[in-house]
Amino acid sequence: MAQIEQSDNGGKKKKGAQKKIAIHVDFTPMVDMNMLLITFFMLCTTMIKSQTLQLILPTNEEVKKENQNQAKKSEAVTLILDTEYNVQSGTPVVDENGKTAHIVYYYTGIADTTFSTPDFLKKETFIGNQNGQPQGIRAILVKRNEAVMKEYLKLKEMWKNEEISKEQFDSLAKLNAADSLKTRPVVVIKPGPNTTYEGLVNALDEMQINQISRYSIETPTHTDTILLNEYNRRNPAK
Amino acid sequence: MGKVKIKRKSTLIDMTAMSDVTVLLLTFFMLTSTFLAKEPTVVMTPSSVSEEKVPMNNLVTILVSGKDKPGNEGNPATEGKIFISFTGDKDSTLSSEHIREMMLLEAVKIYNEQHPSAKVELDQTQVAEFTKLNMFGLPFRGLPQYLSLDQTKRDEFQGNMEDPNVGIPIDGNKDRNGKLNDFQVWMKAVYNVAQRIHNDQKDMLTDPADVKKLENLYTALMRKGEGIAVKADKNTPYSTVQIVFDNLQTMKLNKFSLLTALKSEDEPTH
Repeated sequence: MAQIEQSDNGGKKKKGAQKKIAIHVDFTPMVDMNMLLITFFMLCTTMIKSQTLQLILPTNEEVKKENQNQAKKSEAVTLILDTEYNVQSGTPVVDENGKTAHIVYYYTGIADTTFSTPDFLKKETFIGNQNGQPQGIRAILVKRNEAVMKEYLKLKEMWKNEEISKEQFDSLAKLNAADSLKTRPVVVIKPGPNTTYEGLVNALDEMQINQISRYSIETPTHTDTILLNEYNRRNPAK
Repeated sequence: MGKVKIKRKSTLIDMTAMSDVTVLLLTFFMLTSTFLAKEPTVVMTPSSVSEEKVPMNNLVTILVSGKDKPGNEGNPATEGKIFISFTGDKDSTLSSEHIREMMLLEAVKIYNEQHPSAKVELDQTQVAEFTKLNMFGLPFRGLPQYLSLDQTKRDEFQGNMEDPNVGIPIDGNKDRNGKLNDFQVWMKAVYNVAQRIHNDQKDMLTDPADVKKLENLYTALMRKGEGIAVKADKNTPYSTVQIVFDNLQTMKLNKFSLLTALKSEDEPTH
């Protein structure tokens, strides 16, 4: 409320002298209202924008057998994804931190149809880095993509030392990842029946982190299912 | 003894400075805010190391609903419902409203060609209502009735995930020239409209070398794969999301992006 205070001179007023008027406007309600508005805007806005992950699928047109690119046996890596699943509740199993347990089984080369090699199929998890060292499935993929990763880390170092710009780094990294002179793995991602969407995004993420330029998403074959069953027979759950 | 006069201090605090600060803050929030677009269901996107931002313009978002309570035991009947939203160009002649109108008219045209016995007819007001919708998910045959409802009734209908009439019908059809499902009709409309806009813009150019500089929905779809964003809950089974991927593949929209949240490389991928 605006208040007009007249300065009191103890009744001794000079005639003709101008009255000194101090105007106080109480801004408290204004502040209250502004605070309310701020709260409203803060609650209604999204400061964090979500990110996107690019995905390019092949066309589903029939490709003639002779035109198909066959991956070299030595380069092929197959990942079979799985998510631990609670059959009773029909939901993925979560650990004490509320995180879903994603498992990845992998084998290299062509599937062993005799199902006789022990430990042909191996089990790994997505655990990221520990102390800056890749762990789990990432360690395996980094090793398979050693030639590319070596160059990539060098580029990253150059970028950090500001020898090259971000754009240059991006384009050089892209060229490097697709360099056909280097031995690069061909990864086939096969999401099993229990896999959640997150499991797939995890696998795609690993491709990006490990600079793997050739990968595809396929459905598990009959052989893969038998391999999995064989694995579970040899390594019964504790 | 002389009286000790206690000076009464005024309790009035000058709020002017405070008010200045709050007004500044308010201005900041008003300018930076992008309002949360209303979505019929809440999904928790998985996290990834990808740092590419979601484009602000020329985007078709496909939302795949999860179980009603993410992470908990939910009702499986609510899973895998499809919703679509269109965002227009920054160019005001191709605003979201305009794009939506073009999409709707094209989609209805394709749908009516495919279903001559059950045509969908929309009047002018219904089309105008559609241009205001952010996200929608219902079969074509329900559109005229839905668009005649008022806002609250519409939200109520759309929010009920258990209703079999909610969600754009999608199935395993893999024939691009065969009988398309409703989702595929929308995607075909997206492609057609995008191509038409692109061709129009191309004709306007005087220098053919400028074609490469054009940025519209078509270039976003074809060159960069940024035109379509799939948003799904992290606990949705892959098999549910795969249906959407397969349908996009069928419609030759092979490049698209997945909406994710950011995380660092070192974090365990959970």
